[in-house]
Amino acid sequence: MNSRTLSNWLPTLACVVALLFAALTDMPDAGAKPKPESELAAQPSAPAAPRPVHGLAPLPGGVAVPLSDRPPGAFADDGGPSPGIFPPQKITIRFNHKKHVKELGIVCTACHDGAKTSRKSADRLLPPATRCDACHGSDHRDLNSVQADGAELMSQCGFCHIGYKAGDGNKVARFELPQPNLKMNHAVHFKRNIGCAQCHGNVENIELATRDQLPRMRGCFSCHQMPAPARGEARGGCENCHLTERGGLMKTEFASGKLVPPRWLHDAGHSADWIERHKQVAGNDSKMCASCHSERYCTDCHDGRVRPRKVHPNDWISMHPMAARQNNPSCTSCHKQQSFCLGCHQRAGVTLSGPYENFAGRGRFHPPKRDWTDPPRSGRHHAWEAQRNLNACVSCHTERECTICHATARVGGRGAGSGFGGQGSNPHPRNFRDRCSGALRKNARPCLVCHDPSDPQLQECR
Amino acid sequence: MARRTFAFLIGLAFLTCPELSEAAQAEVNATSDAQFYTYSSPYGEPTVRRRRYTQTLALHVTDITGDRVAFEPDLSFRMRLRLDSDFGQLNAERDPNDAGRYVPGLEQSPLDVMYAYLEGNHYFDGHLGFRLGRQYVTDALGWWSFDGGLVRLSTPVYLDAEVYGGYEQRGGLPAMLGTSRYSGDGVYRGDREDLELGFYPHYLEESQLAPAYGFALESSGVHFLHARLSYRKVINRDAVIVSPFRAPDGSLLKMGGDRVSSERIGYSMRLSESSLGGLRGSAVYDFYNQLFSDYALALDWYVADKVTLGADYDYYYPTFDGDSIWNWFTHSGMTTMLGRAEYRHSRSWDVAASGGVRTFQTEGDSGSYRTESEALQDPDRSQTGMLSDVMGSVGGRYRWADGGVELRSMGEIGRRGHRVGGDVTTRQSFEGRYDASVILSLYDWDDALRPSRDATSFSYVVGGGYSLFERTRVGVEWEHAMNRLVGQRFRMLATLDFTVLN
Repeated sequence: MNSRTLSNWLPTLACVVALLFAALTDMPDAGAKPKPESELAAQPSAPAAPRPVHGLAPLPGGVAVPLSDRPPGAFADDGGPSPGIFPPQKITIRFNHKKHVKELGIVCTACHDGAKTSRKSADRLLPPATRCDACHGSDHRDLNSVQADGAELMSQCGFCHIGYKAGDGNKVARFELPQPNLKMNHAVHFKRNIGCAQCHGNVENIELATRDQLPRMRGCFSCHQMPAPARGEARGGCENCHLTERGGLMKTEFASGKLVPPRWLHDAGHSADWIERHKQVAGNDSKMCASCHSERYCTDCHDGRVRPRKVHPNDWISMHPMAARQNNPSCTSCHKQQSFCLGCHQRAGVTLSGPYENFAGRGRFHPPKRDWTDPPRSGRHHAWEAQRNLNACVSCHTERECTICHATARVGGRGAGSGFGGQGSNPHPRNFRDRCSGALRKNARPCLVCHDPSDPQLQECR
Repeated sequence: MARRTFAFLIGLAFLTCPELSEAAQAEVNATSDAQFYTYSSPYGEPTVRRRRYTQTLALHVTDITGDRVAFEPDLSFRMRLRLDSDFGQLNAERDPNDAGRYVPGLEQSPLDVMYAYLEGNHYFDGHLGFRLGRQYVTDALGWWSFDGGLVRLSTPVYLDAEVYGGYEQRGGLPAMLGTSRYSGDGVYRGDREDLELGFYPHYLEESQLAPAYGFALESSGVHFLHARLSYRKVINRDAVIVSPFRAPDGSLLKMGGDRVSSERIGYSMRLSESSLGGLRGSAVYDFYNQLFSDYALALDWYVADKVTLGADYDYYYPTFDGDSIWNWFTHSGMTTMLGRAEYRHSRSWDVAASGGVRTFQTEGDSGSYRTESEALQDPDRSQTGMLSDVMGSVGGRYRWADGGVELRSMGEIGRRGHRVGGDVTTRQSFEGRYDASVILSLYDWDDALRPSRDATSFSYVVGGGYSLFERTRVGVEWEHAMNRLVGQRFRMLATLDFTVLN
């Protein structure tokens, strides 16, 4: 490395080292990091306190809450409940549930008494600040002038209000607990003697309760998805709990997130390959799909007039012949070959029918005649292609082009050597004779396209 | 007849619709899409100019009988009309007197009623629901539409029952304002009103309604199991030309009367356990062809909290409308077997991959099949062969609060050629009003039967949109594709999605 290169790198290296140093040494002017609460005593005369470690997180030191204490239905690393249902919160209070419930013996409803009568998710179920006063010695009756017991450490504002600064007077950080996007009737659950832990987990074993202690849908289903006679009032329909649009369609888009079914819900997780897999799910239980999607959502792809990019990539018009050769059945889920495909192919002059059937400028679409149609059959013979992927043939050809050769001589066509009439090359599959009489009875039209009514071969099927 | 039936259905819908309550809410949605692109025949000429304008207008009226209460009786009405114009068409392409340019069935501005039905739910203590009008049915038999009535009964014994009847939605009946999307395939048919009998004889008459009826039994109230058994029959009624060739006396033979268009029964089921996985299966039996036209099995195993492994088996045997000769050209089905894996790291990002094989069974081994003895009438069918394509796909998504990036890639390789490639799509919204997207694609393909059509294609799409207000967006997209077959190809799309609520 020459000295010029080194001189170019030195400033960069110095910056990186400085940044690392700043990050590792918790510089006092870092700003973003809140000061320890022991430094935030409310009054000048407030007693000094050790740096608090409890009530700042679910468990001290950021230890993960055991699965057994989390709400039923949660699983490790699930990232909490859906932000679409429970939008992110900003908790600016230090609170130790474990101490209050387990050590002091305070029951949940002593503070959250509103839960007993709440009928809407919009109800605020946190206790008013005055509820704390009896034990903490504070006085929150006038929020413009909250008083603290100067001698009592736990009475100080900074004891509970994270980030409180003594010089700020009554100002405390705003507590943000957005309304859930859900219908919830706590009173009904309370009346049915459903304990808090049945939905919220063992909050008495943790300190700060966060979004993670809010219910999971999988947990709700322990009651709400029981067979109809057993579930009682706990109905299982989506609109029982979820917000709905007009007409009862589930509301799935919120500012805080979008709702999609998890994989465990009827095995219908909308994974990255969902578009390839949704056929089976929709075919089995379209009513479930209709909980969130209207017809419009389906028709925009399956009967649309604008190419859906989720299905067809760019330049599809160039590559679609190869895609159809490989897997034409997937085309048929949206397109009719004898209308959608054929009409376009006729206009483009690639078919044997339509306005360009005698077009001199058209080259040969398929392999040379000696390979494609002449006997004996080779591996490139059209019979193979028809057997392999008949739908692809039907997207260009009309029945007339097949009957020219496959019809029996008395019907018509221009088969070789007959002068007038098809050459009767048998296109039928094996075991056809076992099925032909039933088919003839139900609809004789396809038989009569190729066979004269008096054709002896047809008589065998009658 | 068709016109009368349609008028009857519409009239019935209005008669059965009670007076609108004050609580009734209406939503009107209109979409406008303009698309401009051009494509050519692989031989250079002709060139088809597409100058398309598609307009839809939807009306959704809810709470017709009063404020909606969950699980209580409710009545609603949904309707969507569509006008699909192509101003790039030549007049001659629609003129039957210009045989050199005429394309049967081509319309410049077809208007169709995509759906229009009155729906009632939760009547008779939640046991009865109904739909009346043009509607969809989705089940193992496919996605299908008909004009008529459907009644759904819920029983207390874990079972729902559905019966329906009416006429299949078809495209050849102008008075019915329908599309051919939902009718059986393999028949080239439409309105022949202006065509002479011998002109395009293989373009079949469609002037009669096609009666259709069916029923379904469906499980309900059992979360780990869902099953549906469906039966449907559609009948063709038109008198149609039988052979496209004239008889020696110059006549064209016609046949009419009721005959089967399709008659199928299907069953599908899902068995799942929320901590273990799921098993899905479906099968469809075609009574006309007297065979199982498709069956499938899918298994999902939740190996870990974030990992799912799966396997799919799918068999498909092409079947067509009962009037089609191609029902009797089909020899064997194609089978697809796939292994799948999904990893869902978080709500922000996940990936999925699959790999497997698709097999085509043939009579004889196509690689070595060349015997003089089977020249014409009755080829030797004692041996069977198999063609196989190997296939795979990888997809992934990474999403953030107001945007995301998505990868889709696939490959399918076999004796008939290959297609390999992928797309990367990025979307981003700004200030909740503006949005932008970029899609990059790279694909390569070759066709063993048409070596001159091999190509590598690179293309990109740049798009942007602006939300004028809630539920209303205007957007444009520009697509530029380049490959050796067409050189440069451009496509432009402009959209307006407009919604008004009362």
